[in-house]
Amino acid sequence: MSGYDDYLAGEPVVVTVALTGGVHGKEANPNLPETPAEVAAAAADAAEAGASVAHLHARKPNGERAFSTERFQELTDAVRETTDLVVQHSTGGTGAPLSERRKPLRTDPAPEMASLDMGPLNRYRHLTSENPRAMVDALYDEMAERGIKPELEAFNDGHVNEVHGLLERRDLAEPYHTTLVFGGGTLTPARPRNLLHLVDNLPEGATFNTLGFGPHQLPFATLGTVLGGHVRVGLEDNVYYERGELAASNAQLVERVADVARTLGREPATPVEAREILNC
Amino acid sequence: MTCPYLEYREGIEGTPTERAYCAAVDEFVQPMRADVCNDRYDLSHTSDCEFYREAEGLEAGESADDATGPSSEEAD
Repeated sequence: MSGYDDYLAGEPVVVTVALTGGVHGKEANPNLPETPAEVAAAAADAAEAGASVAHLHARKPNGERAFSTERFQELTDAVRETTDLVVQHSTGGTGAPLSERRKPLRTDPAPEMASLDMGPLNRYRHLTSENPRAMVDALYDEMAERGIKPELEAFNDGHVNEVHGLLERRDLAEPYHTTLVFGGGTLTPARPRNLLHLVDNLPEGATFNTLGFGPHQLPFATLGTVLGGHVRVGLEDNVYYERGELAASNAQLVERVADVARTLGREPATPVEAREILNC
Repeated sequence: MTCPYLEYREGIEGTPTERAYCAAVDEFVQPMRADVCNDRYDLSHTSDCEFYREAEGLEAGESADDATGPSSEEAD
C-alpha cells in the first residue's frame, strides 16, 4: 500500500491530469480545452510537464457533456496520437442513466483505466449524482470484462467504506487505485488530518491519489506526495493558478506539482512507470 | 420540453460556438447544467433547476409538478 515509506524511498509520483471535465467549461476559464484537438494538445503539454495519466471527459462541439462511444473514440484517438499517457475515461455523469455511462468504456481500444464513482454526490440545489451500488457493480463488471483498470473515486470517508464493500463483492486486481477527493459540499472537508484518517482506512493493497478542489489542489497534492501517494490536478478540478489568477493551462498546474514532487525527492512517473505502478 | 428561460448565445471567450444562457439569471450556465435546461437523460428543469423554480415562484414550496415530475433520486 502507498505510504510514507514510499516517500522516504523516493518512489515516483503518478500525476493524473484531469484536462477538461464535464461540469464547467470555457465560461469558467477560456483556457480550458474542450474539443478533441484542444484536449490532445493540452495532454501533450501536460505530458511534457510531468503527467503520466490523462483523465478524459468527452464533450459536444458546444462544450456540453457527451457520453457516446463515438465522441470518446474521437477524443481518445486524438490523445493517443499526441501522447503515450495512460488513458483514463470518465464514467461519471450526474443525471445520466447507466446505459449512457457505459458508453465511454466501449472505445477501440478500450481505455487502460476508467473512473468509478463510489457513491452519491450532491450537485446544485436539487440534484444528486446517485451512483448506487448496483450501478457501481455494473460499471465495474464491464471494466473487468474489457480489461480496464478502475480508478475508485471516494468523494468522502463513507465512500472508503464503499471501496471495502466493492472488494467484498468483486475480485479486483491490486493495487486498488483510489482517488481521495477534498473540498466543499458532499466531499471530505479539506483538512489535512482528514487525509491522514482516510489513508489509514484504505484497504491493504491500495494506492491513492489526492484530489483537492479549487484552492485545495496544491496543498493536498503536496500532502499526498509526502504520504507516499499520487496526485491529480487539472482544470477539471481547479481553474485557478492562485487566488484571483486563472490558470493558463493544465500544463501549468502539472508543472507546479511536478516541481513540488522533485523538491520532496520524488520524480514524476513516466507513463511506462505509471503503468507498472498501477498495474494497468 | 426545454426550459423557457434557455437561450443559446455567442459570447464565451475562447469559443465561437453558441452556449447555453439562462435568461432567468442572465448568465451563461455550466455545460452540465445545460443538460438540465434541455431535459436530457433523467433530468428535468421543472424539478431539478433552482433558477427555473425561483423564477416561477416554486422554490419556496411544493407544486403539483413536484408530486408527479421526475426527480434525481429516481434516476438510473
